[in-house]
Amino acid sequence: MIRLALALVTSAMLAAAPALAQNVLTIGVRSEAATLDPHWTQLSADLQVQEHIFEHLVDLDSASQPVPGLAVSWAPLSDTLWEFKLREGVTWHDGTPFTADDVIFSFDRLAAGIAGAPASPAFTLAKGGKVWTRVDDLTVHITTNGPYPTVAEDLAMVPIVARHAAEGVTPSVDFNSGKAAIGTGPFMFEEFSPGNRVSVVKNPGWWGGDPGWDRVVFRPVGQDAARLAALLNGDVDLIDYPPTVDLPQIEANPNFRVSTIPSDRLIYVILSYRHQEAYIKDAAGNTIFPNPIRDWRVRRAMSLGIDRAAIRDRIMGGASEPTRNIVPPGFFGYVDELQPDAYDPDEAKRLLAAAGYPDGFSITFQGPNDRYINDARIIEAIAQMWTRIGIRTEVDTMPRNIYFSELIRGAPETFPGFDMPKFSVALTGWGTVAGEATYTVSGTLETYNAATGGGNGNFGRYSNVYVDALSIRAKQTIDRDARLALLKEATRIGMEDYAYIPIHFQVNKWAMRAGLEHSPRTNERTLAWEVRRVQ
Amino acid sequence: MTGARLAAAHQARRRFLRGFLAVPSAAIALVVFVAMCTAALIAPWIAPQDPYDLTQVSIMDNLLPPGTEAWSGMTHWLGTDGQGRDMLSAMLYGLRISLLVGILSGLIALAIGTLVGLVAAFRGGWLDAVLMRIVDLQLSFPTILVALILLVILGRGVDKIIIALVVVQWAYFARTVRGVALVESARDYVEAARGLRLGAMRILFLHVLPNCLPTMLVIATIQMAQAISLEATLSFLGVGLPPTRPSLGLLIANGFNFLQSGRWWISVLPGVVLLVLIVSVNVLGDRMREILNPHLRR
Repeated sequence: MIRLALALVTSAMLAAAPALAQNVLTIGVRSEAATLDPHWTQLSADLQVQEHIFEHLVDLDSASQPVPGLAVSWAPLSDTLWEFKLREGVTWHDGTPFTADDVIFSFDRLAAGIAGAPASPAFTLAKGGKVWTRVDDLTVHITTNGPYPTVAEDLAMVPIVARHAAEGVTPSVDFNSGKAAIGTGPFMFEEFSPGNRVSVVKNPGWWGGDPGWDRVVFRPVGQDAARLAALLNGDVDLIDYPPTVDLPQIEANPNFRVSTIPSDRLIYVILSYRHQEAYIKDAAGNTIFPNPIRDWRVRRAMSLGIDRAAIRDRIMGGASEPTRNIVPPGFFGYVDELQPDAYDPDEAKRLLAAAGYPDGFSITFQGPNDRYINDARIIEAIAQMWTRIGIRTEVDTMPRNIYFSELIRGAPETFPGFDMPKFSVALTGWGTVAGEATYTVSGTLETYNAATGGGNGNFGRYSNVYVDALSIRAKQTIDRDARLALLKEATRIGMEDYAYIPIHFQVNKWAMRAGLEHSPRTNERTLAWEVRRVQ
Repeated sequence: MTGARLAAAHQARRRFLRGFLAVPSAAIALVVFVAMCTAALIAPWIAPQDPYDLTQVSIMDNLLPPGTEAWSGMTHWLGTDGQGRDMLSAMLYGLRISLLVGILSGLIALAIGTLVGLVAAFRGGWLDAVLMRIVDLQLSFPTILVALILLVILGRGVDKIIIALVVVQWAYFARTVRGVALVESARDYVEAARGLRLGAMRILFLHVLPNCLPTMLVIATIQMAQAISLEATLSFLGVGLPPTRPSLGLLIANGFNFLQSGRWWISVLPGVVLLVLIVSVNVLGDRMREILNPHLRR
């Protein structure tokens, strides 16, 4: 009798459990969100969680093209004046109405600078010399200091926080406690527990309708194998970055499914152009003068010496797209003529000999070991390939927090404010977040200029006046066709010059339990309302 | 006279060895340990491939199961890892690093620890108090944490990992040697030596030290096993050694990512080697303690 009762209770619990669990989505993420302050960092791991709570004037669709967010429409009134019309009837999570004051407050907060923030979007906001004014409760005007085409794309990077909740609070800390984490987004703050979980609950009053889940939990599982195990055990419903070696097994398993989209993230090798490079040495161990990388033939040899197909097939499990472009196919600025270099070690050796290095030289190839998909393994594979053509390559991989600070400002400044990168040859990635190439060209190919922000991602300090001229003109050209032509030309010149060596675009994958459907995004974010239950 | 002494010493050694080998597990452990040391020592000559030479390692041969013939014509009896390294060669070279790190860091820590322990015990007073508080401080931090922090500061390389292991291990030796030396210093023969007005150094190194040796030998063995597993742990956590020169720990860490896709050999094989190595060293240490400690002698 007791046994029967127990059985009944158990089966009742079993029946009830899925009904309860169905409204909760648990996402296993590789990198955990370090803060809920949307103005604190620019890391995807932080942004994807913040975007559940906070929104932007302009949203990006799954292909990273701008669509209305908190602004319903925008248009240039002249070459230098843009008008943004705000959405009516939007309220903050605590019920306060959203108005232009909040927009102005958010922009002012960023422009004033946030003490201690490692990388706020203030930089994006400042581009083009934007000045913002409130016209009425639902209208904001933005003026720029010259023709500036990508105002909307920039504002898609600038989250809007609530004036009444965020004014005067301690940055980051008060957001993580929930005090200032009041947004307009589809989900509301529930818990922020570093190392353990971040959870959000449904915002019933969201202007976009029902986001589909009552509660969303982000659980950080850094180890690839452990994250996959969490999915296989049913601890989480969906994971980002499933380990590439396991993809065939997951895809073949009927209990799981995989979603796929080519990413906007270019993985490439930075080459440094100082006259002498600390990590480029001859057989005797002395740094070589002049730096061999300044010779085009050496750069081409390094590119021809990389077997991109082998990296795709042997390391990436097929999930990469070898390239010589800087934005993925279909993006504004993609150049058809630039096809990935075919592997040609013999030609590479010939080029090295012609450049005066018949016996090659030695380099240290640096990179992160926890940032990009299979980063350390790609670095090791390229080291093998380069060693074969005579460039003896030592590998030094490090955790990303060390790597990126060294990459950006690891060497002594040449003069104050002029950050110098540390590495000579390094692997890194660049995401074209706004779906178009203007800031990829400007960021990675233009000469570094701390004042204008040109070349802010040009860590090798490549400099080419032709590229600069085209890129700077493109940034001021409102007409799309004219801008496209300028961008393509700048890309073509830069890439034919081997400013840096593109390897591939990552292909993003997510793995989830059967019964879920996910529409993936080019920009790698995992957003709960893009995951749906299917029967 | 000298001849008789030599013969006596020789006999003592043989007695020691015979006592040692009387227990089969110790005999097996000794054979295994010597075999592993030999293999590690002659690795460059017996390994089918130099896993550190990037021209010999090809990514095209990665993840081959044991016994597969690569397109280069080479048969990988134990398979290859994610970068195409021959597992047999990688393990032989990895064993070399693990043993080198274990033995060298054990010896250096032993030397430093013994010196500190002897001085503390013999001098006593404030010096003893200061040294032992330092030892307490050191022992109160988790070993792995101290080693991790040190390696993050020092960077990568075998020398760096040895430094880190010495720093975390000397305190064990110092504490134990001090204890033994305190007991010995109270013995009559030390009193007698003091009565003869022999120098402090002479008493310390010629009278006290030899009598501490048995205990030191035992901890040295056990700490060596500890050092090897600590190195493996640190490598597993991704600090210490460059990825192109894997130790056993790094090989296990690399293989961990492939476990769920059924490529067990990359992680399991070096794991087994590490396990056998550590167990055999520990068995040797235990047996040594049994022989050298008269209280445990049957």
